Amino acid sequence: MKKYFSIFKISFQQEFVYRINFIMWRVRNILQIFLIFFLWNAVFSQPGAVVFGYDRAKILTYVFGILVLRAIVFSARTVDVSGEISSGDLTNYLLKPISYFKYWFTRDLSSKALNLGFATVETTILFLILKPVFFLQTNPTLVLVFVISIFLAVFLYFHILFIVNLVAFWTPESGWAFQFLFMVIIAEFLSGGIFPLDILPLAFQKVVYLSPFPYVLFFPLQVYLGKIATSAILVGLITSGLWLVISNLILRYLWNKGLRRYEAVGR
Amino acid sequence: MDKAITVNHLVKNFEVTEKKPGLFGSFKSLISPTRKTVRALKNISFVIQPGELVGFIGPNGAGKTTTLKILSGLLYPTSGFTQVLDFDPWEKKPEFLKQISLVMGQKNQLWWDLPAIETFELNRAIYDIGKKDYEESLAELVELLDVGKILNIQVRRLSLGQRMRLELVAALLHKPKILFLDEPTIGLDLIGQQKIREFIYEYNRKNEATILLTSHNMDDLIDLARRVIVINEGKIIFDGALEDLVKRFAKEKIIKVTLSQEIDVKKLEEIGTIKKISFPQVTISVPRPATAVAAAELLQNFPVEDLTIEEVPIEEVIRKVFGSK
Repeated sequence: MKKYFSIFKISFQQEFVYRINFIMWRVRNILQIFLIFFLWNAVFSQPGAVVFGYDRAKILTYVFGILVLRAIVFSARTVDVSGEISSGDLTNYLLKPISYFKYWFTRDLSSKALNLGFATVETTILFLILKPVFFLQTNPTLVLVFVISIFLAVFLYFHILFIVNLVAFWTPESGWAFQFLFMVIIAEFLSGGIFPLDILPLAFQKVVYLSPFPYVLFFPLQVYLGKIATSAILVGLITSGLWLVISNLILRYLWNKGLRRYEAVGR
Repeated sequence: MDKAITVNHLVKNFEVTEKKPGLFGSFKSLISPTRKTVRALKNISFVIQPGELVGFIGPNGAGKTTTLKILSGLLYPTSGFTQVLDFDPWEKKPEFLKQISLVMGQKNQLWWDLPAIETFELNRAIYDIGKKDYEESLAELVELLDVGKILNIQVRRLSLGQRMRLELVAALLHKPKILFLDEPTIGLDLIGQQKIREFIYEYNRKNEATILLTSHNMDDLIDLARRVIVINEGKIIFDGALEDLVKRFAKEKIIKVTLSQEIDVKKLEEIGTIKKISFPQVTISVPRPATAVAAAELLQNFPVEDLTIEEVPIEEVIRKVFGSK
């Protein structure tokens, strides 16, 4: 355990080396929020308007919720794994008595801690500037399920991202392109990061709900907003749990296969 | 444990995709890639005893680095048996990894953006090194490698030689019993090379560590390795003492004479092949069995002031060995 705490510390220091990078990344997040906020604010400009089952308070809560959830779920250093595989830097870790998965998960946690800290501050400031009407969930059971679903989301996202990165074992040159397509386009879109998924056609929603993606952002927020029935919550939790098991099996399988192909290049 | 490393009938093949030159070639390899099997190691076997310092010699692509990578568990062997300290390297058991280290001259484990001391602290945690042991071995390594002043400087700001020495510290904090060194002196200046060599020698002697070293630099091997394994095109072509390598492959010896007066060089040619003349010194190469006779003849019939008999330089031997293939 101590070794992973040390990794957490050094990873945290590393994040601070690239301060400008980090600040730019946060600025991007804030701009995005402004954009989405004013868009939805305009849509709901008439008092009492309800669109796709969202009133003004809920859609704004959704937007702010996404900001915080993104910081928790999407902040990850694991994106560097494919680079390490193709450059041969993976070698350094294979030589050490350390679990590569735990190593990256720990680095993710340090990134999450840092991003969450900043996102909290930003949210508070934006909240004070924009003074949005806000929806507060008061049902303790739903809040508890919301927290559980965030934990599931974090683990699930870690698995999906890691699997995507392992592609570099087979095509070292296209690791990044694949990651971009998959994580930025598919995962952001299907997870509800761009807009709420329930404004999509119903048939499409049903299919998306069978995939693991809604469970990394959209589902936890829906639970918080109290927009889904108890039975649907149960089905959602089971589905994301199942995806976690499946992705874990896939991850292990690909890791073992990939290591046999690994050529420890760079020399 | 009576053997540190055992390698038996080891074979390693790589699958590579070939690309024809040019844009058209790129397209072609995209649609129907031509796969080729490269046979990196063709059935090699050797045994290394604990505490031995063995040098691997061979041209680029001979299979030296591949062997080290297999022995440290990075590569999965195609077939054959490997055992290091009673472990199968591929399994990467923590108890195994805690006893080995692989240092590659062109790969770094130091965190590029942070001072080296941070990497050392991290390694202390990863290898479960006790505080007292850590401080002792850090102090010792810092002293031996003379890196006390650069511990707190961001790694990216250091020179190659400084980094290489810090790499060695990072790799040795956990006092590995087996050390694999791949081109440890590559890119270093003469003083830097000398420092690293002295250090390797000391480490081997003090800790009774088994060291396997590859190098293109013959000085590394002459200074350090009592035993060398010569590998070419994936096969071992010699395994034994360095002196035996010279005896086996050098069919000649070198006689250097200093003449006291100028003579007809033609006459010297009857004794052996003249390699170099810069009066008053002449270097003659003679067949190994005829050395004594040649020397006697020189002393008797020529105005010789001084005479030495030497082995052919090791570089030349190695060049001959690989050149004849």
